[in-house]
Amino acid sequence: MRILIVEDEPLLQTQLADSLRAAGYAVDTASNGVDALHLGDSDSYDAVVLDLGLPQIDGITVLRKWRTAGRAMPVLILTARDGWHEKVSGIDAGADDYLTKPFHMEELLARLRALIRRAGGHASAELVCGPLTVDTRNSRATVNGQALTLTSHEYRVLAYLMHHREQVISRTDLVEHIYAQDFDRDSNTVEVFIARLRKKLPPGLIETVRGLGYRLTAPG
Amino acid sequence: MTSLVQLPPLAGRGSLRIRLLAGTLFWIATSIAVAAWGLSSLFRQHVATQFHAELKTHLDQLTAHLTVDAQGQPKLALALSDPRFSLPYSGLYWQIDDLAAAGSTEAAAAAGTAVARVATGRLRSRSLWDAVLAVPPDAPADGEIHSHRVAGPAATMLGMAERVVRFNEPLDEQLDHRPDGPPRSFRLIVAADERLLVEPVASFNGALWLALGVLGVGLLIAALVQVLIGLAPLRKLRTALGRVRNGAAQRLEGEFPAEIMPLVDEFNTVLAQNAEVVERARTQAGNLAHALKTPLSVLANAAAGNDEALARLVVGQVDTAKRQVDYHLARAQVAAAVRVPGARTPLQPVLEGLLRTMRRLHAARPLELVLHPLAESLTFRGEQHDLQEMLGNLLDNACKWASSRVAVAAHLDRGRLMICVDDDGQGIAAGDRDAVLRRGVRADQQVPGTGLGLSIVDDLAQLYGGELTLAASPLGGLRVLLQLPAAGGAAGEQGPG
Repeated sequence: MRILIVEDEPLLQTQLADSLRAAGYAVDTASNGVDALHLGDSDSYDAVVLDLGLPQIDGITVLRKWRTAGRAMPVLILTARDGWHEKVSGIDAGADDYLTKPFHMEELLARLRALIRRAGGHASAELVCGPLTVDTRNSRATVNGQALTLTSHEYRVLAYLMHHREQVISRTDLVEHIYAQDFDRDSNTVEVFIARLRKKLPPGLIETVRGLGYRLTAPG
Repeated sequence: MTSLVQLPPLAGRGSLRIRLLAGTLFWIATSIAVAAWGLSSLFRQHVATQFHAELKTHLDQLTAHLTVDAQGQPKLALALSDPRFSLPYSGLYWQIDDLAAAGSTEAAAAAGTAVARVATGRLRSRSLWDAVLAVPPDAPADGEIHSHRVAGPAATMLGMAERVVRFNEPLDEQLDHRPDGPPRSFRLIVAADERLLVEPVASFNGALWLALGVLGVGLLIAALVQVLIGLAPLRKLRTALGRVRNGAAQRLEGEFPAEIMPLVDEFNTVLAQNAEVVERARTQAGNLAHALKTPLSVLANAAAGNDEALARLVVGQVDTAKRQVDYHLARAQVAAAVRVPGARTPLQPVLEGLLRTMRRLHAARPLELVLHPLAESLTFRGEQHDLQEMLGNLLDNACKWASSRVAVAAHLDRGRLMICVDDDGQGIAAGDRDAVLRRGVRADQQVPGTGLGLSIVDDLAQLYGGELTLAASPLGGLRVLLQLPAAGGAAGEQGPG
């Protein structure tokens, strides 16, 4: 799961990025409207945390441009402005949620999880596929109630596949959603993560679709 | 609104109408009085001149017809032409007095002064009948005509003209044989009733007053009409101001005369400035929020997850600071919401926007948000931001509390907008409802929020002269009833329900 944080206050941006990385997300950051517009337009994010008062281009305009360009990722507006007319114009510009500062980090994380889940069409915070269960609230995976020990990258790959289970996910997709932008990407490492996951999971859960990518599917 | 179409009372110290009418009335009265006096004098003078000219004409005729017969007695060669001289007491008379009747039988007893020898009424017009004009003693020089007023027959006053005629020499063949007789003098008198003088003047004055009276009334009506037409734009201005106050218009609309237009333009500028000041105050309140809340977020996040005493203190104080900022910002918004005259906000788009927002913000829970159909004309008399703030807080509260359903309805009741928000949550006990409206009290600490929502709505509603009441909802939860002023134009219409 890859998240874009758009926040012009450096300290808050760092705090947000640290908290989200700690929660298992790959995080990119932007501190002005131009960068935000560019990043959101060119990269696939699973969610965006967007401040409204931004230098150069304000947050509402950035959001409108993304939506006009067909970018459908969930966007959570995080702003100090708590007037209802601002909330209405934010939602009408295409935001999916609205959180006002100051906020509790737990609430932001919970809302982000819910947004990502709803974007994948899932109602519950616990994603289930056969014997495998992934609890997005605490980044834990269990097989038949037995906890799995996963590295953060392994968890990201698994969480992404779980959010898109029964769908074919290309390696490129996986790379885009598990790495932050500044990370040294190597598509071969994806194969390494998949191989490690297969060892830890019951056989047949992760299929390889030749020439296309991988699919997480319940056996039987 | 009836006062707008009523004519203002004409009385009143500062009334322009009274000022203009009083001035006009004064000038009309003065000029009519002067005209009446002037015309009447001119006519009286004219009549008097005519009267005297007529008397002189008759006197001339009398003089021309006077002769002396063989016995030295005066006689008229011809009767005077005016028939009134023959009609008894007709008002027109002549009389010839013999001034030196020496030798005459009537004057023989008298001796001495010339006056004593005067034989009055030697010859008189038939109209005098048996009366004799008592003429004051006078002796006009040759060729002079003197005028007097004398008492006439039948208790009338007469105006008269007289002249003296002397016969020094025989006047015709018949007198040839008495060439050296004593010279004879006669006083010739023509008199006419003064009513001939007074009556035309009186009837002229009557006609004059009538004509001037009609003229005066006409001028007065014209002045009244002029004042009404002239001041009509002021009434229009008042109507336009009423529309602004009602919220039916944002600014003074319409064309006004050049004298009033600057006033209208100035007023519109003031209205625009007022709206700008309110907008700026709001923006500054928002900027303050942004400036304070971001550092608060940083502090809270830095301290969160740390179990030291300092960290706990920071978390607690940040929470208090957030509440304070929210509270005072909300009050500042309320204070800035000075009712901008003429502001009006249609209800439907605001409710629809807010419901879209609520569906997103509460998407995690399966809530059914129902908006009962509204009359399109429902319009709030006030700022859009304030309406959004009130309804947003009410709906957000309802969504937080509802277990599955929130319903919104609105209708117009005697010019008031009645907005009703129902939820099917657990409601609030009747005894606790007042407390919920007070600052910062939350009925249930489990539900996130500052608890300010309803009290801010109550403050805003009161500022607009509205009212917030809490009741039990037919859905099972809380019913919040918000009563607000409706914008003019929709008044009198009935919404559904």
